Amino acid sequence: MAVVTSLRESASLDAGRHSDESLVARLRDLGFVPGARCEVVARMWLGGDPIAVRIAGSTFALRRAEAAAVQVQMAPAQAAGRESLTQPGTSAAAA
Amino acid sequence: MDALVETRSLRVALVGVPNCGKTALFNRLTGSRQKVANYPGVTVERREGERIGDDGRVLRVLDLPGTYSLHPTTLDEAITRDVLLGRLAGVPAPELVVCVVDAVHLPIGLRLALEVKRLGLPMVLALNRMDVARRRGVGIRVEQLAAALGVPVVPTVAVRRGGADALIGILDPARWPQGAPVAAVGAQIGAAEAERLQHDMRALLAASGYSPPRDNPWFARIDALLLQPFAGLLALLAILFVMFQAVFSWAQAPMDWIEAGMAALGDLVATHMPPGPVADLLVQGVIGGAGTVLVFLPQIVILFFFILALEDSGYLPRAAYLLDRLMGFVGLSGRAFIPLLSSHACAIPGIMATRTIPNWRDRLTTIMIAPLMTCSARLPVYLLLIGALIPAHKVGPFNLQGLVMFILYAIGILSGVLVSFVVKQFGGARQYSPLMLELPDYQWPNAANLLLGLWERVKIFLSRVGGIILALMIVLWILSTWPAPPEGATGPAIQYSLAGRLGAMLEHVFAPLGFNWQISIALVPGLAAREVAVGALGTVYAMSAAGDDLAAQLQPVIAGSWSLATGLSLMAWYIFAPQCLSTLAVVKRETNSWRYPLIMAGYLFALAYLAAFITFRVASAWG
Repeated sequence: MAVVTSLRESASLDAGRHSDESLVARLRDLGFVPGARCEVVARMWLGGDPIAVRIAGSTFALRRAEAAAVQVQMAPAQAAGRESLTQPGTSAAAA
Repeated sequence: MDALVETRSLRVALVGVPNCGKTALFNRLTGSRQKVANYPGVTVERREGERIGDDGRVLRVLDLPGTYSLHPTTLDEAITRDVLLGRLAGVPAPELVVCVVDAVHLPIGLRLALEVKRLGLPMVLALNRMDVARRRGVGIRVEQLAAALGVPVVPTVAVRRGGADALIGILDPARWPQGAPVAAVGAQIGAAEAERLQHDMRALLAASGYSPPRDNPWFARIDALLLQPFAGLLALLAILFVMFQAVFSWAQAPMDWIEAGMAALGDLVATHMPPGPVADLLVQGVIGGAGTVLVFLPQIVILFFFILALEDSGYLPRAAYLLDRLMGFVGLSGRAFIPLLSSHACAIPGIMATRTIPNWRDRLTTIMIAPLMTCSARLPVYLLLIGALIPAHKVGPFNLQGLVMFILYAIGILSGVLVSFVVKQFGGARQYSPLMLELPDYQWPNAANLLLGLWERVKIFLSRVGGIILALMIVLWILSTWPAPPEGATGPAIQYSLAGRLGAMLEHVFAPLGFNWQISIALVPGLAAREVAVGALGTVYAMSAAGDDLAAQLQPVIAGSWSLATGLSLMAWYIFAPQCLSTLAVVKRETNSWRYPLIMAGYLFALAYLAAFITFRVASAWG
């Protein structure tokens, strides 16, 4: 379990490939807002792409590039520190 | 009188996030009084229905495409916004908006409801799936929510009879003033506005004493299996395999009934009418022609049954999740899975379903390969050829006929993969487009909604049989009986007719593929609709053979007169050939240019000729 801290407007999406604002806006629409609890419930092969994220009772399939825009903090019981949703160390713990 | 009727009717639009049960509610409100068309200028599906109350009240209900926000990322979502704003020419703005919110997933729905409410249109909130929400321990105080939101809130259970009665009660035309002004919406939602929405949404949740649902432990268990990479892909393959096996094994009995029924009808007409050209036209052209196509109705129903049930159960987006990366290798999005699966029933709804793919390049590639998926119109042709030429041996646990059918499907899919790979290699840089797909809660498919969906498909198929297919069969019948053979002619009568001469000409083109003149003739009407080729072969052979027994005798005739190589070559041709004018017309409409349908027709014909040629040569060489 992790808690969303912020959404990075300049996420690791390849520069210029997608309008970051609309991506971030859509993530917000889906409930990825600061304070929301989320959890990675499944990941595909090949570097875990895409992943399935449970947030506010709903599950969404996100590619790594999209999930990278979501900054999370691990819940207190687990490792502390600000990380991105997809970074290997924390996401394994989150799952 | 007119004025009275006018005030007693109300234009209602249903708005909601995807998977909130909006379409089920629409079905509950309108029953079968609905029609599906397109919005002017675009091919987003426009679902409209009517409800006439016992007291004469008329509700005109519009089911808008699902959206998470009024700041659209796809064409579908843009339509929803434009209709609400009254910006879409030819579609008057609704007089009342029913915002459908899944009570189990209240926050995401409320966020949209707040956005819609800011437009200033009169609004009612339908709290749908209340039964499931209660069962899963969701706490919502409906009155408090209504007070805090400032609009009526009505609990509904769209899938239950009477589950929308409270909502219907409130949709009284007299209650809602007309011509409310609508606020404007910016193209992009600003961070500040988004935060305000979130803040308001949380305030609403707090005011209504909201407590979130308990997680259903079964969903997590099922997902642990179905989303696991290896087991999940295996399960997906198994589901598809069962689906296609069912199409062939379950349909057999009803197909036999239809065949017997049409034969009996033909006999009846033949014995009760004086023999002559009119009786021939009726028996051979109309009954025989329509019958050979009608017989495939059971298989189409079964295929759509599976697709609709999978869609309703919430599984389909999971398949998209599983396949996203694999499809990414060849330049497709996982979102392309659903359109491509639908294309196995018919390329037209498949191509229309590509609207949910936000990226134009991805969407175009998906459109281009959609006709390669084996649609149900090819089934009649494949089934005829396989039944006639492939023995029903057992190969391990499988039937050789079923196996050949599986291979035909597989070739269609593989060639789609190859084509999109080529497009990816040579199509230049592509823009990134996100996946961001909701994997909804699992649910049992609802029988009433399933039946309604099936009925819609059956209607479309029957109107095709009754319309274009029947017309083509009659034209072909006339072409192949006129002019009559000269005195003392020795060959079959059809060889002297217009169709016969056309076939003789085309035979030169198709001879390298092993097609005889009968096939060549049948391909011509088959250009308009694939399945017509079967009826056409029936007509051609019925008129070239001495006896006049029709349709049912087609398989033995083919088995007796075609080589295996010819049959395989024709199957190969059918995998690729763009023999469906309606598909090309839809591509023209969807892409808004002649360029893409022309490219599509060109590349598919080239592939078809090449594949049939190679198949014929190889099969001939092997004997």
